[in-house]
Amino acid sequence: MSTDQLDLQALFEQAPCGLVVTKEDGTILRSNQTFSSWIGFDSQALIGRRFQDLLTMGGRIFHQTHWAPLMRMQGSVAEVKLDLIHQDKRIVTMLLNGVRREYTDGAFNELALFGTTDRDKYERELLNARKIAEDLLREKTAAETALQQAQAELSLAYEKSQRRALFAEQMVAIVSHDLKNPLTAIKMASDILARGERTAKESKLLGHIGQSADRAERMIADLLDFALARVGSGIAISPSAQDLHAFVRQSVDELRVAFPNATLLHQTFGAGSAFLDADRVQQIIGNLVANSVAYGDLKQPITITSRMETDQAVVSVHNHGPVIPESLIAVLFEPMTRGAETASDVRSVGLGLFIVREIAQAHGGDVSVSSSAEGGTLFSVSFPLNIASDVSPPH
Amino acid sequence: MDLQHRNNVNVMGDGPATLIFSHGFGCDQTMWGYLVNDFTPRFKVVLYDLVGAGQSNLEAYDRDKYNALGGYAQDLVEIIDQFASGPVILVGHSVSAMIGALADRQSPGKIAAHVMIGPSPCYIDSDDYSGGFKLEDIHSLLDTLDSNYLGWSSTMAPVIMGAPGQPALGEELTNSFCRTEPEIAKQFARVTFMSDNRQDIAGLTTPTLILQSTDDLIAPLAVGEYLHAVLPNSTLCVVDNVGHCPHMSAPSACCEAMDRFLSPWEGAHVD
Repeated sequence: MSTDQLDLQALFEQAPCGLVVTKEDGTILRSNQTFSSWIGFDSQALIGRRFQDLLTMGGRIFHQTHWAPLMRMQGSVAEVKLDLIHQDKRIVTMLLNGVRREYTDGAFNELALFGTTDRDKYERELLNARKIAEDLLREKTAAETALQQAQAELSLAYEKSQRRALFAEQMVAIVSHDLKNPLTAIKMASDILARGERTAKESKLLGHIGQSADRAERMIADLLDFALARVGSGIAISPSAQDLHAFVRQSVDELRVAFPNATLLHQTFGAGSAFLDADRVQQIIGNLVANSVAYGDLKQPITITSRMETDQAVVSVHNHGPVIPESLIAVLFEPMTRGAETASDVRSVGLGLFIVREIAQAHGGDVSVSSSAEGGTLFSVSFPLNIASDVSPPH
Repeated sequence: MDLQHRNNVNVMGDGPATLIFSHGFGCDQTMWGYLVNDFTPRFKVVLYDLVGAGQSNLEAYDRDKYNALGGYAQDLVEIIDQFASGPVILVGHSVSAMIGALADRQSPGKIAAHVMIGPSPCYIDSDDYSGGFKLEDIHSLLDTLDSNYLGWSSTMAPVIMGAPGQPALGEELTNSFCRTEPEIAKQFARVTFMSDNRQDIAGLTTPTLILQSTDDLIAPLAVGEYLHAVLPNSTLCVVDNVGHCPHMSAPSACCEAMDRFLSPWEGAHVD
């Protein structure tokens, strides 16, 4: 058969796409065999049914809200994807192009439909991939937001704690300074009372008052130093040339009086003078010896060594007794750190070693510690001898 | 916020009262084209697009604000304040009828009357109410919207399809009246079809004309009758029409009913 003899009827019925003509309200007037076979109906059975009734519920709503108004307004729609329900209830996905054509007896919709099952599968895969990507992005964004928030909270908390710490330290500085005056009054009053005739019991009580006031004074001095080191400009030193052995000996002599039940030995190595703040270094020795007395074995001597080397002066304090645990060594020089609680005389508030290190560092030196069962505990404070060039003395 | 730009507000006509036309889910204000010319000689007419639809400013689309119809109602009240003069009659199609009712509740007294075209206060059936849909139907719609993502995305224009007997349409016009950002369309579909405004609408005393199609899948006759029963000042007018858009497919019947209802507010008719 030549193309001239093309049977238009057959072309309509067997076109390679579904063809449907409906009234404006969707009532099917005619559909081709291709369409009716795709959805499993007889062409005759479709006549009189509404096209939209062949769709899934979602497709029917979409028809009502989207492409029916479009057909009216712009006279055509293109590439609308629809799910139709096959007679055996399975879903057949089709792509719809449609035009609205006006004839003398009214307007009609002419629809062409294309099977798009495979393409639909592919598009759904794309959609799924997009959805997964979006979900991941959302998760990532959420995680980032949470992280930012945590960081903001952290820095806020840090600022707050800094402010609190500063306030507390300032308060320590003020209170310890203000406590000095009443303490001086207590000491003076008890000294005056001690000069008169006293019973044995009164003398003993006055002795307690004096010792307690001395202890309180040392604690306050430590607190003030701590406050200076932490809040103020640091512990100030006034160094001058000192005969190391001489002033360490003097210091040991004074400590023998303060700690009558301990045996203090002083040994010296080398000779010469160092550029030091004698009062502050005596404070170091006092703190270290007080620690040895508090935590060491008093049945054995405490040895204070002063040593002049070529480039540094070293003062060390050694005692026998319990080992300082490894965990404690790491934080030993931090404020408020204390060794094993000795039930009796806790000398200070845990600032002694912190102040030792602060003073050593103010001299350009440092402090170290070693502790073992056989060797005992040894604190060594070193002062570089070229200190004059490194640390400018206060005016 | 420039309301004109945000909602693509168009003002036309003249009269002592203002008709504000608010479109429904799916398309935009162009769907009022069959109706407005009848009213511009006697009324001031305000057309606008809901944010997210048509030529509205998509940058104004706030997922939180528009996660409930109240967000759209708030916009409507703002539009009334800025563009209306005299008594305001809201002509709302479909979901916009409920947006109008919510706006009336939010700011009582601003709306003198409602014309509700194919309204439904609740789409999903419950024990004592028949809205016409089951929850899975709404999921099926979301799925259909999703599967039309590629073709309807505003970033991908479909091919030209010439319409016989009409001037050739530009490529950018094809499907454009109903084209929305897919994510916005899905959220709006969810907000629309999952909404239940029965509490909000019951007892609303503002005069209301309900334009009910005889055969409407989205808003069945029973829903129109339900609304008529719970709105004490309502008139139910059943229009012989198949489909959800009688203002497009049966405009003259709609105009007739509206003319009767609107006569107390209309201005002089100048021919």
